[in-house]
Amino acid sequence: MSTALPAPVREPAWSLSRSAISLWVAQGVVATVVEALVVAALIVFVPSDAGLWTVLVRWVAPVVVLVTAVVDIGVQPRLRYRVHRWEVTADAVYTLTGWLNRTWTLVPISRIQTVDVNRGLVQQLFGLATVAVLTASSQGTVRIPHLEVEVARRVAEDLARRAEQVRDEAT
Amino acid sequence: MTDPAALTGQRTSRWVLLLHTITFRQARALVPAVLALGATRGFDGGTVTVVALVVGVTLLSLLWAALSWWRFSYAVGETSVVVTRGLLSRSVRTVPLDRVRGVEIEAPALHRLFGLVRVEVDAAAGSAGATGEELVVDGVSRAEGDRLRARLLARRAVLVDAAGAGDVAAPVEEPEEVVTRFDPRWLLYSPLVGGYLAVPLAAFGALFRLLEEVPDRFVPDLDRPGLPDGTLAALVLAGGLVLLVVGSIAGSAVVNWRFRLVRRGGSLIATRGLVTRRHTELEIDRIRGCTVSQGVGMRLVGAARASALVTGLGDAARRGQLLPLGPQDQAWALADRLVERTGPLRRHPAAARRRSVVRGVVPGVLVLVAGVVLTVLAGWWPLLVTGAVLTGLGVPLGLARHAATGHATGPRSFAVRSGWLVREHVVLQRRAVVGWQVRQSFTQRRGGLATVLACVGAGSGGYAARDMAADEAADFARAASGAWADTLDPAR
Repeated sequence: MSTALPAPVREPAWSLSRSAISLWVAQGVVATVVEALVVAALIVFVPSDAGLWTVLVRWVAPVVVLVTAVVDIGVQPRLRYRVHRWEVTADAVYTLTGWLNRTWTLVPISRIQTVDVNRGLVQQLFGLATVAVLTASSQGTVRIPHLEVEVARRVAEDLARRAEQVRDEAT
Repeated sequence: MTDPAALTGQRTSRWVLLLHTITFRQARALVPAVLALGATRGFDGGTVTVVALVVGVTLLSLLWAALSWWRFSYAVGETSVVVTRGLLSRSVRTVPLDRVRGVEIEAPALHRLFGLVRVEVDAAAGSAGATGEELVVDGVSRAEGDRLRARLLARRAVLVDAAGAGDVAAPVEEPEEVVTRFDPRWLLYSPLVGGYLAVPLAAFGALFRLLEEVPDRFVPDLDRPGLPDGTLAALVLAGGLVLLVVGSIAGSAVVNWRFRLVRRGGSLIATRGLVTRRHTELEIDRIRGCTVSQGVGMRLVGAARASALVTGLGDAARRGQLLPLGPQDQAWALADRLVERTGPLRRHPAAARRRSVVRGVVPGVLVLVAGVVLTVLAGWWPLLVTGAVLTGLGVPLGLARHAATGHATGPRSFAVRSGWLVREHVVLQRRAVVGWQVRQSFTQRRGGLATVLACVGAGSGGYAARDMAADEAADFARAASGAWADTLDPAR
């Protein structure tokens, strides 16, 4: 069976800022460096006559690090950018996230309780921010990751204002 | 909002002093410190030191209880309830009455001796499941507890009937209607419920630990009875089984004793418990749905439990219970009173069945592979056999899990069902949905399946229809919530 089956639901219209790719690449690089350091330490500390463990540490672990590095830096950021979408319609916030596994989240503006703008450490380097839309349900939180700061601020303000106007029973 | 200073605070009953002294409620934190002190300095003085210590700790406990009692006060105003407490630093907590979600009156055994109750006010704001936002008034008389509950929940009645006399303190005695009364025969279902079976098991465990602590010289030297080994094992097994059954029934009886669910005005009130009497009030207006859950054993005999899903209710699993244990017809009758039932469930497609079987088989296959490796390398075959058996069992398990899943929509409600070990059938009102989440894993995408999660501000926060046909997802969401879910429609 091919993967050409249509998506179960509609795609949101807008894509993220292109800086998101750089951010994911940066995260991949950081993760790879950490993994490489751990493996290097293991190679130094595991004695060369430990049998199976030596083989695992000297040959298998570096290959695993290399493969994850290629995926995390070369493949995943671009794939994520192609998949990630978001949209604010007349009455709802709608996002699509993930790369292999995908998640579409839809929250009507009338049920929004609070809107947050979060800026992580790495995000600040790339001038990005995440908009988090919270509802009464612990599982019904929409996160629009990696928008440009200015866009994120405008979206959050707009959503908060409209939520106030149309709020019926937000539970 | 009421000015906190304008209200005269009320203290709890004086008897609570005695109660808290006996139970070392406040001084409990000191016990480890005292023991540590004793351990380092040694209990040299023998009996005298021990008695002095006990008297000292009791006096300290009394002093502490008295101080806490003296510094604690509560007041219910027109619009808010104010609780003041704190030994050194004063803490004043004001909760608007319209934030009060529920009031629970609890009467533990000792409290009942003094005719006292503990009132817990549930004022969880925002997300469901938060338990931090709770006010506790410990130790008021039963009558005062009832008065408090009436006043705390009277705000709603006043809002509805704005033209009323406004006499909030003395609400009209509304007629009561008994919805469910626990039939003691239902206790016989208890040995089939996992939770109640755990009660005697835990008791056994505690007993054995205690026996191991007993010094050897106190253990009587029992002669082995002159029975063949097989008979002895069978007797022990049979005895254990009988104890397990009796223990689970007893455990269930203690918790569910004289369970009663009554409807008074806009509320459902559940009362239960042998040692500790619990009194929980749920607002019908805040009920968004119902679950009817049945374990494997319960399904065999047609037993079930029913719970209400209430917005903003802390500790929902316990407090939302409408029927802790009973015949499934009763459970469904209750659910039908609160939420309109949907039509029959729609089953999930063949691809979902395949996926479910694969998920059931995978753990067995992993063991099997490990078994093959061990057999080849070390000639140790038991793991191989275990793996084969597990793999074989995985097939019916996967089929059973698939058979349990389903979803349905009705004119004002929708339903999802899942689970084999405990099958949970959730019926929710359309207005309950605060969001939708559609998930598709890599394998689900290839099989044309999707998991649709209804986000709800009650119960566990989300209820999923796992592995439904991907092209039905948008229609289901639209039918189960409202026009806003049209955004999901792929044809738009």
